Amino acid sequence: MKDWASLTTIEEMEAATNSLLENAQKVGADTWQQRVKNQTPHCGFGESGTCCRICSMGPCRITKKAPRGICGCDVHGIVGRNYLRFTAGGSATHSDHGREIMHTLHQTKEGGNYQIKDPEKLIRIAKEWGVETEGKDIYDLAHEMAEIGLLEYGKPFGTQRFLKRAPQHTQDLWKAAGIEPRAIDREVSTAMHMTHMGCSSLPEALIRQSLRSGLSDGWGGSMMGTEFSDVMFGTPKPVDTTANIGVMEKDNVNIVVHGHDPSLSEMIVYYANDPEMIAYAKSLGAKGITVSGVCCTSNEVAMRHGIPMAGNFLNQENVVLTGACEAIVVDVQCIFPALGPLSKCFHTKFITTSPIARMPDSEFIQFHAETAGENAKAIVKMAIENFQNRNQDLVNIPNQKQNARVGYSVEAILKVLDGVANSQVDEFGTTKPLLECVTSGVLRGAVAMVGCNNPKVRPDSAHIGLMKKMLENDIILIVSGCSAQAAAKAGLMDPVKAKEYCGDGLKRVCELAGIPPVLHMGSCVDISRMLILASELSKDSGIPISQLPVVGCAPEWMSEKAVSIGNYVVATGIETFLGVDPYTKGSEEVANLLQGEHGIKDWVEARFVVDTDIDSLCDKMIACIEAKREALGI
Amino acid sequence: MTLFDRVFGGNDAVYGLTEAAIDNAIAQYGESQAVSFPETAYALPCYYAVTGVKVTNLGELKAALGVVKTLMTREKRLHDAFMSGVATALCAEFIEVLKYMNGATPYEAPCYGHISDAFVRNLGVPLVTGDIPGVAVILGTAPSADEAVELVKSYQTQGMLVTLVGGVIDQLAEKNYKTGDNVRVVPLGKDVTSVIHVVSVALRAALIFGNITPGDAGNLMKYTMERVPAFVNAFAPLDDVIVACGAGAIALGFPVITNETENIFRVPKSLIVQTDVSKWNPTSLEARDIKIKITKIDIPVSFASAFEGEIIRRGDMQVEVDGSRVDCFELVQTKEAAEVEDHKIEVVGPEIDEIPVGSKISLSYTVEVAGKAMQPDFESVMERKIHSWLNCIEGVMHTGQRDMIRIRISKADFEAGFKFRHIGEVLYAKIKSEFEAVVDKCQVRIIVDAEQNAKLRAAANEVFDKRDARLASMTDESVDTYYTCIMCQAFSPSHVCIVTPERLGLCGAVSWLDAKATKELDPAGPCQPIVKEGCTDEKLGRFETVDEAVQKYSHGALEHVTLYSLFQDPMTSCGCFECICGVEPVSMGVVITCREHAGMTPLGMSFSEMASMTGGGVQTPGFMGHGKHFIASHKFIAAEGGPGRIVWMPKMLKDQMRERLDKTALEMYGVENFTDMIADETICTEDPEQLLNYLSEVGHPVLSMEPFEM
Repeated sequence: MKDWASLTTIEEMEAATNSLLENAQKVGADTWQQRVKNQTPHCGFGESGTCCRICSMGPCRITKKAPRGICGCDVHGIVGRNYLRFTAGGSATHSDHGREIMHTLHQTKEGGNYQIKDPEKLIRIAKEWGVETEGKDIYDLAHEMAEIGLLEYGKPFGTQRFLKRAPQHTQDLWKAAGIEPRAIDREVSTAMHMTHMGCSSLPEALIRQSLRSGLSDGWGGSMMGTEFSDVMFGTPKPVDTTANIGVMEKDNVNIVVHGHDPSLSEMIVYYANDPEMIAYAKSLGAKGITVSGVCCTSNEVAMRHGIPMAGNFLNQENVVLTGACEAIVVDVQCIFPALGPLSKCFHTKFITTSPIARMPDSEFIQFHAETAGENAKAIVKMAIENFQNRNQDLVNIPNQKQNARVGYSVEAILKVLDGVANSQVDEFGTTKPLLECVTSGVLRGAVAMVGCNNPKVRPDSAHIGLMKKMLENDIILIVSGCSAQAAAKAGLMDPVKAKEYCGDGLKRVCELAGIPPVLHMGSCVDISRMLILASELSKDSGIPISQLPVVGCAPEWMSEKAVSIGNYVVATGIETFLGVDPYTKGSEEVANLLQGEHGIKDWVEARFVVDTDIDSLCDKMIACIEAKREALGI
Repeated sequence: MTLFDRVFGGNDAVYGLTEAAIDNAIAQYGESQAVSFPETAYALPCYYAVTGVKVTNLGELKAALGVVKTLMTREKRLHDAFMSGVATALCAEFIEVLKYMNGATPYEAPCYGHISDAFVRNLGVPLVTGDIPGVAVILGTAPSADEAVELVKSYQTQGMLVTLVGGVIDQLAEKNYKTGDNVRVVPLGKDVTSVIHVVSVALRAALIFGNITPGDAGNLMKYTMERVPAFVNAFAPLDDVIVACGAGAIALGFPVITNETENIFRVPKSLIVQTDVSKWNPTSLEARDIKIKITKIDIPVSFASAFEGEIIRRGDMQVEVDGSRVDCFELVQTKEAAEVEDHKIEVVGPEIDEIPVGSKISLSYTVEVAGKAMQPDFESVMERKIHSWLNCIEGVMHTGQRDMIRIRISKADFEAGFKFRHIGEVLYAKIKSEFEAVVDKCQVRIIVDAEQNAKLRAAANEVFDKRDARLASMTDESVDTYYTCIMCQAFSPSHVCIVTPERLGLCGAVSWLDAKATKELDPAGPCQPIVKEGCTDEKLGRFETVDEAVQKYSHGALEHVTLYSLFQDPMTSCGCFECICGVEPVSMGVVITCREHAGMTPLGMSFSEMASMTGGGVQTPGFMGHGKHFIASHKFIAAEGGPGRIVWMPKMLKDQMRERLDKTALEMYGVENFTDMIADETICTEDPEQLLNYLSEVGHPVLSMEPFEM
């Protein structure tokens, strides 16, 4: 029905990857494609969540013959404990990212490496938190806010400050369910404590804590990470960029940033644009310096500076395989340890920067907030000097590149909506124009599509396949993380062409609002932006979040963070669709709690839907959206 | 009920009515009974535009209804609602065309019903120049007649074209409010289906100006959305049928503004609920992104292009400036900066209130301008605009030019406090706003004194004579620069006019001097200079630089254009041409007809039908749009033998062109009274044999010319 000709297809992306794998063969490098083969089949106990190695009496594996562990814990307790630990790992990780941002905020100073780029936002949050702002120096305020924010991690009493941003109905549900998150670290500790040998084995209690720990991430650590990154680096607004491996430039020094924390990549971007550095690169035979990104640190700098996106999670080895990557600079999370040995097969410098992510075969340049400028400059310089070490015979940058418009923070979305409001009838600064599109049926609903890549799913095929289906059905997409990059790489964020893939309703919305149909909201930490958007929609419409025709989806997820995200999205009232099972199929009881009609749905009005058949997952999502419309009579 | 349910319901209802009406008509007249709208070359224009199929009789109409049914899908998607809206509109067109069967005239004044192709073509230039900033479609009955008048007037004073459907027509009549296309308020009809007559205008605009292929519904809707600045104002109550029609309007990109609050859904920029009717004007303009150029002029009556066509009858007249009986004139003159006091308005002689009602008076006005970039060549460009400016004053009518002007000022204006001084205010304001790039200072002197005017008129005529001499000496050979004009690209994206001294723009509104002035006023604007270089064929008028300009400004759509040939890469047309010429194969001559002439030509085609052969920026050898004044030029189809090829023109056009055309023919062919040798509708209409007989009878020069090299 639609002309998809200008999209980059999965097949084309695979062909590009295959041409890079030839490079790998030439130099005898190991790649994830090979390691997946080596690891297959996966351990059945692990996959179903029925292996317990929490104490040294085991490991215990549950079978028909051996239905309980040595301590007597049944399969439901074991699966539930594993699920909670899975969540806690993700929650701790996201939240620690947020904590790093708060520490950086504490280091901001006038003229320093880190400054306040969005003082209005800082003041707005300060007022929200009841902090006096009048007559205060912006940096004094920033430091005060940093301390208050850091206390959210360990405060002895009370719940997370940002919970007040949720609609009252949602807050009431959380209170009634006993899942209002307290101090962030406490929820992780509680999770670890509950799952220690000899503590909780009651699935209901374990799942409740999973939701609470997840919420401490989404409405706590992640939200602080997002909000205060905006304060320091600027709140994203629409910006045009490019995506896919072809963004790397053959004649330039290529620096690839990878990881999650924008504090590092912001500095690299700054120094790569330094005329002194560019001149230095030219003096060594390059035409210039190209910074591109992989994973969420890429999303961060794309959203704020239009830095091109070379690829997502499973493309991280590809950038090195081009033979044209002078340095891959990483901070934290989702970094393959494989990059160390792989970089040794090429001239590429693999530079680790965080004590959190130390790896063999890397050069470690520890990034300190006080010396960030010098550190970044040293890294850029190292990359430039490495340009001459390229083996030209190995250079292969597949010519794949798409245009993308990114940068849709909630603030930017509201601005877009103001643009279609009518000053004679509407108030500005609300989500009402979007709600009107939905209630009238012009848009059928929205899908928040997020998450990683996972070799269990043909890379990007689920993201892109589902998105195409949604677009045809007038369902708008808000995306983040590696899902966002999949869309960008395929061309679904092209501000001109992508609307042609939509049904008449979504197409019209794109034309009138000047947006692509897939809105890039940021990195995985920025899923907190989606929570705020959902809350605003609920408050502006008076309809509980769970009744809005909005669903969440992570079709190719793989990390612990994704499990934490799933928990807080679903606990916020948004039905969440997963294309990969979260190691819970070993317990019917746990699966029912998460996915059944009368589990978490009774507490938070939403549940998980897991289906590894992507077509069937797609149909279920659309049916869910239409059912919600039906219930609302729209 | 969801919004889509209402659209589907309304669509089903209209479909049912249409089916019954067609079946009844077939039962009564049979399937071969012809159906058509008058004065259009586009059959049932909406159905033709959407499907590419021309319906001519009841049998085909019935088949067409079957096609319409296929649009009426019922998925819960906007696509289905849009298509059902379009289907509703097409049904309305079918119902309306049945009213016109057997030459019936179903609409009586003040209602217009179906609108002619000529009317659509006339809209081209004013729409692209922003002279008509938008088209309002007002539907239903206002809460009160006063509110109806206020709303219509609010658009009218902005120069918008207002079309009316339903009860609002009677409300205006009740208040004796003047309507008609001359004041840009066009009542269509009282049935809701008559709204199709304005939709038909929008869709024909896409075919005529946009070169949209009939049947290419996707690009058709893209064109109307991006380029036709229309919107709908629909009064409550809205029934499902109106909601379905609204879906059709929104599909075309036209937002609907309503005061209905019951059972309605809001859609940003598309379906807007504004309960306060007094705010419909700003709400609508914002919804359709229409910007009004504001010229605030300090006069006691309205000033808007909508009043341009207003006629002041003798009985309504306070005074008349009558250049045919007494000494009158209008003149623009360039002065040194020191000689001009900016915004000085001087009235010498009695003011209007010192003159008895009904007088015919001697009056002149001289506009003196100074500016660093001012050139005397621009004087006549400004002077030609005075006609339009004075007509834009509500209650003032201006005709003629130079020393043959006639101005009527109405009693209503007099009562409102309008003075001669206000004519000066209008001239000052318009000169300063439209020519701000070249005019730094401007003053106006109005003289109401027969004695003084007699002397001044003689002096003015000397100025006019000098200008004429300069114009006459200006040929395509005597200048080194031509100009592009791409003003119409807002509407006709690949058309480029090449304007030379002897070939004015095909709309008749842009002479070489106008283009030169436009370049000065707006350096990056629509008129860009082409340095005349690289002549590769003098006879055809083929220049390398012209080709380069055409390629550049048509964005690659055109490769080559000649200036003087009808067959070899003829110049393209946007759609708003004054005249069109086409080859008459029997006599080996050309037939010219003009927009004002609705009748047939010996080609068996009317203006509309000939016009539909070209336009939208495409080259159609053998057919070419052009301005009236090109006809009398030595360069008119010079490659094929020049104006001596003209064998037929409407009488009215002959009379307009006679003097200059006779002169040209005398110079070129040594033929006296050439215009009389050209046939017109009083001599023959459709029969080429009859035409040939006449040409032989009068010894027309075409008979001795070589056949065309086609």
